[in-house]
Amino acid sequence: MTKLTSTQELMRAANLSRRSLLKSAVAVGAVGFAAPITVQNAFATSGELNFEGWSGYDDLKKTVMPAFEKATGIKVNFKEVDSQDTMRADAKTAIASGAVDVMEPTVDRLPAWVSDGFVQPWDLKKVAADNYLDSVPGAKAGSAGDVDGKRYFLPSVWGTEALTFNSKTVDGTYGKLGLDALFSENMVGKVTVRGHSSLAAMGRVLDAAGKLPMPWIDSYKNEDNMKKLWDIALAEAVKHKKNIAQFWSGENEAQAAFKTNGAEIGLTWDSTGYNLRNDGYGFVAPKEGAFAWSQGFLLLNGAKNVEQAHEFAKWVSTADGASMWASAFSANPVAKGAIDKMNPDVSKFYASSYPGDALAKLYWWPSQAAWFLKLRGEYADKWKSA
Amino acid sequence: MAALIRRYGTGLTGIIIALTTFWLIVLVILPYFDLFESSFRPYLPAADVGGPKDVYSLSNYITIFQNPAEFNIGLFGFTFPISVAIHMWVFVLTILFSVLTTLTSLVLCYPLAYYMAKVIDPKRLSTFLLLLVVPMWVSELLRAFAWFILLAFKGPLTIVLQNLGIITDPIHWTWGLGGFSGVIVTLVYVYILFMLFPIYNSMTSLDTNQLEAAQDLGAKSWQTHWRVVVPHCKPGIASGCVTVFMLAVGSLLVPTLLSSPSSRWFTEVIYSRMFDENDWNGGAAYAFILLFVCTIFVSLTMRLFKVGLADIAK
Repeated sequence: MTKLTSTQELMRAANLSRRSLLKSAVAVGAVGFAAPITVQNAFATSGELNFEGWSGYDDLKKTVMPAFEKATGIKVNFKEVDSQDTMRADAKTAIASGAVDVMEPTVDRLPAWVSDGFVQPWDLKKVAADNYLDSVPGAKAGSAGDVDGKRYFLPSVWGTEALTFNSKTVDGTYGKLGLDALFSENMVGKVTVRGHSSLAAMGRVLDAAGKLPMPWIDSYKNEDNMKKLWDIALAEAVKHKKNIAQFWSGENEAQAAFKTNGAEIGLTWDSTGYNLRNDGYGFVAPKEGAFAWSQGFLLLNGAKNVEQAHEFAKWVSTADGASMWASAFSANPVAKGAIDKMNPDVSKFYASSYPGDALAKLYWWPSQAAWFLKLRGEYADKWKSA
Repeated sequence: MAALIRRYGTGLTGIIIALTTFWLIVLVILPYFDLFESSFRPYLPAADVGGPKDVYSLSNYITIFQNPAEFNIGLFGFTFPISVAIHMWVFVLTILFSVLTTLTSLVLCYPLAYYMAKVIDPKRLSTFLLLLVVPMWVSELLRAFAWFILLAFKGPLTIVLQNLGIITDPIHWTWGLGGFSGVIVTLVYVYILFMLFPIYNSMTSLDTNQLEAAQDLGAKSWQTHWRVVVPHCKPGIASGCVTVFMLAVGSLLVPTLLSSPSSRWFTEVIYSRMFDENDWNGGAAYAFILLFVCTIFVSLTMRLFKVGLADIAK
């Protein structure tokens, strides 16, 4: 009997707290909903920008946007969302209402944004395209930032997935160490990778060795190609399953693989390499080129503050703007000279990770459609269960 | 209902019922219904949702039978290759190893519960209970992480055994049992009290005179257990088994943290459907497959051992 009562107590407490939480959430929601309307009315003519970007990076709001406002006098109304799908869903209504001027998805999704008619090209005369590092998408004509010869994407920040290695046991000289090291005979039980990206690495190794019936990049185009190529990569990878010390899926696991589970080389995010830099590990782009991702700005159709949007993209392409934007995301800046303005630890790490022609060789993740992601997950499951 | 009103008055009873209704409908039934409904719809780009492609079908469920992969099963020294749909394979392994987890917990808990209920000096019982419960005051995450550290390749267990000269090379403790040893050990540890307390509860209600009677009539120790204690405790055993099995099958944290390069738990597949592939529809379908199959499995097992739901509720 006493037990029952305490359970009831607990349930009631939980009920109450959930409810009050909901209530306050409703209240906050109401205020949040009303606020942009009043702001919009007050500044409807000029000097503001409606920007929808990523939530969870507090420095954007705290330091980066105030710095932008100080430099240009333009106030940013920042709507934070946690996924690109939300951005796309919001874009659907924003192009009619003009409520959002600029959004910040990743470059691999760009084709879908353009084909849905959500975005308009940037006016390159109003930005400083020369500011960008040559290799990032959107820096030059014909890169992944263009669709049908028009520049829809201006980069804001980028990062990589490359090789973290034990400096004592692995020769990490740039140009010598490649993705094939992950599958080499002398690395049995010493490798940590992510399920799907290691299959892509195997695909690129096979591609470079001329062992595929068509280029690896074609596997991103349709289901038949993908199954053909990923079957080959999977079969080859399974032969080297003994190499795997641990699969990682998040930052903590990746670090633990090196610290406690015997990994001496791995295909990891740059953050893992950075965090382990003082523990005897190095991080370097493989000779084939590091896997890389990039976020950037899209100008929405129906945008009301087109001039300000260009000012915004231009400011993020300056050394100051780019370094601040990149610091907020703990990733790499898109502008020339920006890396020297970052925290010295970061600049040092960057210089050692991407020496020589590594920046020119970055391998940007191709666009990955829904059908692709689904199959990719299934291949990763087969690889892990093998 | 009348009893409730008599006890708490109309106002408070109204609030209690309103809150419970709110809890059940808004926080349990509606989300489940939403997930159930979306599990029959395809995953589409935001622009196509509600469009002509957005139709009901079973395709999210059928996927579990598709995409075969080759596996080698080793049994009694022989290995034979089989071809199974990848997610079906993961599903079957998850059920098998959850059963193993449940049985291991049972084997560990039965003697312990008997000791606590019938053997131990009652004065020391509270200390004993405290010792069992104290570790559970720490969150599940931390307890799982503790095992992650203990069983690490170059972790404390390896180091101690190396210093004692028992082993020379470090061992991957989580790689045994087909790659599931770390997962099983930790699941047993994390959920063991859910097995212990129901069995202990049912044993305390067993009259000690019956045990003495069995002995007087010449029953051997194992016969007493098999024919007196176990039948009496069946509801407790069943309740513990159901709880541990369902918790193990549905665990995500432990299988992720304690994984080996060849282990894969079905909840991990659901997780990656939802969050890596952004396919909430497919993830929902898999979640319901897990829920339905486990419910059927548990009901069948209970019928096999002739235990009813009402017995467990006692």
